[in-house]
Amino acid sequence: MAASGAEGLPGRREGGGGEAAVLRGHEGAVLAVRFNGDGNYCLSCGRDRTLRLWNPHRPAHIKTYSSHAREVRDVHVTTDNAKLVSCGGDRQLFYWDVSSGRVIRKFRGHDSEVNSVKFNEYNSVVVSAGYDRSVRAFDCRSQSAEPIQIVDSFQDSVMSVILTKTEIIAGSVDGTVRTFDIRMGREVVDNLGHPVNCISLSNDGNCILASCLDSTLRLLDRSTGELLQEYKGHTCKSFKMDCCLTNTDAHVVSGSEDGFIFFWDLVDASVVSSFRAHSSVVTSVSYHPKDACMLTSSVDGTVRVWKQ
Amino acid sequence: MDEGDEDYVVYGTPIEREEETSARKRRAIADAGQLRALPPWKQEVRDEEGRRRFHGAFTGGFSAGYYNTAGSKEGWTPQTFTSSRKNRADVKQQSIYNFLDEDDIKDMGGRALETSMQFDTFGFTAAELARKEAEKEQEKRPSAIPGPVPDEIVRPAANSIGIKLLMKMGWRQGRSIKDTHADSLYESRREARKAFLAFSRDKDGPELAEIESSRSESEKYPERSDDIFGGTKSTPVYVLNPKQDLHGLGYDPFKHAPEFRDRKRSRESRDKDRGNNKRKYAPGFGIGALEELDIEDEDIYASGFDFEQMEVEEVEPTKMIGDSWHKLVDRKRGSMLSFKVASNSDYVLERFRPPVIPADFESRHKFPTTLESTNKFPELPPPEVPPPEDNNLRLLIEGSAAMVARCGKSIEDLYKEKSKTNQLFLFLSGGEGHNYYERKLWEQKQKRGDLGRQNNTKSMKSSDEKMNAENRGKVLGERPLDRSSKASSLSVDVKEVIHLQSNLGDTFIKPVGLSESLKPFKYDPAKQERFEQFLREKYHGGLRAAQPFITNIMSETDRARERLDFEAAAEAIEKGTWSKEKETDPLSILKDLPFINDQRFVSSTEVEKHGVSKDEQKVIHPKREEFEWRPSPILCKRFDLIDPFMGKLPPVQRPRSRMDSLIFMTETIKSSKSEEAIASTRDSILLSHSESKETEKQLITQETDAEPIAADVQRPVDLYKAIFSDDSDDDDADEGNSGHSTDPVKTNEGANMTLNRLVAGDFLESLGKELGLEVPTDKPGPPDKPPNSILVEAASKGDINSSSVHEKLTSQHEEFDRPMEEKHKDNISKSADNVVTNLSINQNEESKPHSRHQRSRSRTPDSDSSDDYRDKKRKTHSRRRRSRSPSTDSSSDRHRSKRNRSKATHRKRGTTDTDSSSDHLYRDRSKSEGKSRKRSRHHKHRRKDGHKNR
Repeated sequence: MAASGAEGLPGRREGGGGEAAVLRGHEGAVLAVRFNGDGNYCLSCGRDRTLRLWNPHRPAHIKTYSSHAREVRDVHVTTDNAKLVSCGGDRQLFYWDVSSGRVIRKFRGHDSEVNSVKFNEYNSVVVSAGYDRSVRAFDCRSQSAEPIQIVDSFQDSVMSVILTKTEIIAGSVDGTVRTFDIRMGREVVDNLGHPVNCISLSNDGNCILASCLDSTLRLLDRSTGELLQEYKGHTCKSFKMDCCLTNTDAHVVSGSEDGFIFFWDLVDASVVSSFRAHSSVVTSVSYHPKDACMLTSSVDGTVRVWKQ
Repeated sequence: MDEGDEDYVVYGTPIEREEETSARKRRAIADAGQLRALPPWKQEVRDEEGRRRFHGAFTGGFSAGYYNTAGSKEGWTPQTFTSSRKNRADVKQQSIYNFLDEDDIKDMGGRALETSMQFDTFGFTAAELARKEAEKEQEKRPSAIPGPVPDEIVRPAANSIGIKLLMKMGWRQGRSIKDTHADSLYESRREARKAFLAFSRDKDGPELAEIESSRSESEKYPERSDDIFGGTKSTPVYVLNPKQDLHGLGYDPFKHAPEFRDRKRSRESRDKDRGNNKRKYAPGFGIGALEELDIEDEDIYASGFDFEQMEVEEVEPTKMIGDSWHKLVDRKRGSMLSFKVASNSDYVLERFRPPVIPADFESRHKFPTTLESTNKFPELPPPEVPPPEDNNLRLLIEGSAAMVARCGKSIEDLYKEKSKTNQLFLFLSGGEGHNYYERKLWEQKQKRGDLGRQNNTKSMKSSDEKMNAENRGKVLGERPLDRSSKASSLSVDVKEVIHLQSNLGDTFIKPVGLSESLKPFKYDPAKQERFEQFLREKYHGGLRAAQPFITNIMSETDRARERLDFEAAAEAIEKGTWSKEKETDPLSILKDLPFINDQRFVSSTEVEKHGVSKDEQKVIHPKREEFEWRPSPILCKRFDLIDPFMGKLPPVQRPRSRMDSLIFMTETIKSSKSEEAIASTRDSILLSHSESKETEKQLITQETDAEPIAADVQRPVDLYKAIFSDDSDDDDADEGNSGHSTDPVKTNEGANMTLNRLVAGDFLESLGKELGLEVPTDKPGPPDKPPNSILVEAASKGDINSSSVHEKLTSQHEEFDRPMEEKHKDNISKSADNVVTNLSINQNEESKPHSRHQRSRSRTPDSDSSDDYRDKKRKTHSRRRRSRSPSTDSSSDRHRSKRNRSKATHRKRGTTDTDSSSDHLYRDRSKSEGKSRKRSRHHKHRRKDGHKNR
């Protein structure tokens, strides 16, 4: 079962795949790496206060975006690849023009470091989650730098935010995953009982994968809020680390603090594959939307591309 | 764009983002960024250069350059007046130099103030100038190389005056200024040789010169080398060893031991190296000039490295000191060359044996007898004396003896003092029965001494073996303890002690029976132990014993939490409720009392939750809860969704804590109380207007045909306007009423006002009733609601509850609508004997200025009935008008139509507003007025949105 499940995974050296490329350039830790919408490019950001645009398939470094005054923690690209938004330690969101590399706008409002940021479907709103226990939404179309919505029902730092067409979902250190349904005007609080480090949505949109700080990933059913599965084996205790599902929703991927990457089977939660990817903490994993390709970033300053 | 070149073809040069060159400007911008984060009252206005131009009124006011002057350089300098008629201001000749700054002038070739090259000691400007001149010259001169020759090739030589002078004095480049002896000697010798050579050339010819020159060469070399070694070659540029120590000036601690100097220097350099990376920052990049280093910049990821370094560092010195022998041998060839290790060391560490404690030594000093007995007691007892015959006297003597024995000598003196006048106490000072008194006193003292000694020995014994609760109780005269129950699960001695302790606590303070069955932490022996320890401490007070080893394992928070539990448990035990509630099953205890949580990462709230429900977390997590959440309209719009709360009432802030809701409540009560009092009295008086009656009637009759949706949407705003009399609706009302009565302005204003007050007053009155506050009642139906219950509910539940309030309020309104006239009569008659009458009169008077104000405001549209204004109004209210009577907009029979309209308006406003938006208003009240006004605008906005979406 486990062997058959490991077939389509990147990073498996036996199958001829494995590390396809190493993207070097960041000085210091790389804090996040993200594929763009179609998976042709990727963006990384790190403690050297820059964002870097790469072509991970060639591999090539395309552009560097630097204006941040502190470390950059998260980045997201619009679906049309025209704009970027990034956030980090300087309490502002930077709204970039991709081609010119200039900052179009800076969104202020967070009282503290911003952990995560996302565009909505229409690229008109930027939603960010911060250490100041709030989720804030900013309007990209207006000139105002002030938030149009502040959600401050969290009781601790909000680590991660994801958006669907109608909802804002955010995970917080207070142990909750909160879903704000804009259409219904409801806030659904799923209390996991453990600090939530990162949340990620399954590709079918029915499940939330939440990485908790007790070294456990939890898979929640979104409609009922029940716990579907728990994935253990990796270490995740003190760093902000990403988790994600593979493009087929067959496996769950997460990094580990010891530099390993873990693959679990989605259904029976067995560790399908684990291998050492980096020499240090794996801060981020990002999975290609269509192909079996994965990006990992680490504190050791590299971004690695893994292919089948 | 290094590797990306193959992907992209780049045309032209990229437009770089313009960099602000001025440092000040940049700083100003950075400041502005920070300023914006500040609250408005802390922000400062600065010009684009970052200078503060606007000062407070007392610190200079606006200053554009010349502070505290008339705004010119001259300021208030007195001048005589000169008429410009006669002497016209002469036309100033302006040149371009007037507008250039110094650098530019220099570039233009003008004269700028600079150092004359004559006094330019080190020749920087001179060199510069020379080069410039050379360049100029070069242009004129034809040259082999076409075009300007690079500066590097043609370097003009120009020496400064100082160098020139020195050279004239014989100094050469690279020499020290000070003439060394050797140098001068060499120089003079050479001169002499030259002279000699010149002299001898005439005789011997060139061959001698050859020899001489070769000799001089050979002679020259040693001297040269000497020169080098002497270190006199060049002037010292800077002090190599700046003074950094704390020694006195000129004091050299290594004067007689230069060997140590190198050692010290090497150590310092090592320290410096280490000091550079004392705090590790993320590698590879620095931090901006505008940022300050703080904890965030530390490299959290590279953790292990520092540790290694520390180890090395610590090991080294200890080794050096500890086994210095081997170390020194190793280091023989090191920096301490001239030291040799002694073959035998004289220094032996002296050690002393601890003193021998004698076997019979006791750590406490024992008094052989009581203090009193040794000091005060005469050895011989007074002889036995028969008591005096007088029985009274005997009793008195015995009593006073006992008294004196107990209280000491002073009381005897006091008695003696008294006995001088009193015959009865003569026995004290040697009168009758003195002997007997002496004897009695001795006896008493003996008795007390015995007792004391007994106590003493007893306590000593107990402390020697073990303090027994029983004998202590005996000593202190307490009731005996029961030692019936025996330990079941715990180790016996612990239990013993605890039990004893609790029983002691019982006897000392209050009955707290901590019997075996009442152990609150039975399931966790360690915890139980700690709990008992806690109880012991709690009931005993005094110095706290050192924490037992168990607590050391727990974290600080755990300990604190556990302590809270213990407190709760102790309290429960005290109340005696423990056995009833908690004892039955340990699971229920589990629910109430948290475990020690050994999880590493616990958020603050997590802790709380643990405290509340441990087993819930175990079983039910993940737990799902649902709340109402209100997205902002703009967010919905951006997400391309329909606002679920469109047209609904604005949200009430969910109270964060109980504290908040309490505050909220009290404020509401306060405000509504005063408002309600005012409004109700106004109501009662203003009802006398006939217009008001009429309008009220109309209100009732025409209520039904209002368009429901529109009303739904518009209500909240309108009521608010009605109360705080916004102008737009007044306008409508004015138009309507203008044709209605003989004195249009006055009556319509009056009616308007009345209506407004009526609505507001009525609402507030009913609200007050709802709250159970004292209202000058004019209706039956006593407020039987408990005063605060609704408010608390409303405050805590927010808008969920609002509907119920709303219902109640509407019912009140119906009641109010019905008996308008009779109520009015009632009102007057009742208020005659009411205390509130005074108040109402006052209120009436007070309301006058208000009404005047209103009049002036409401009149404006009438007085300047410009068409565009009307149009605007019509636009804003077009929707409403259409819904009511589409034909009325013709301008010919304006008055009549207006009247109709006004009635309609009134009806609309009066009824629909009051009942539906009551809760809205109620909520608004709780907020500040300004806020709610804003909200009304907000509503309008949303209404528009609603139209669009529909």
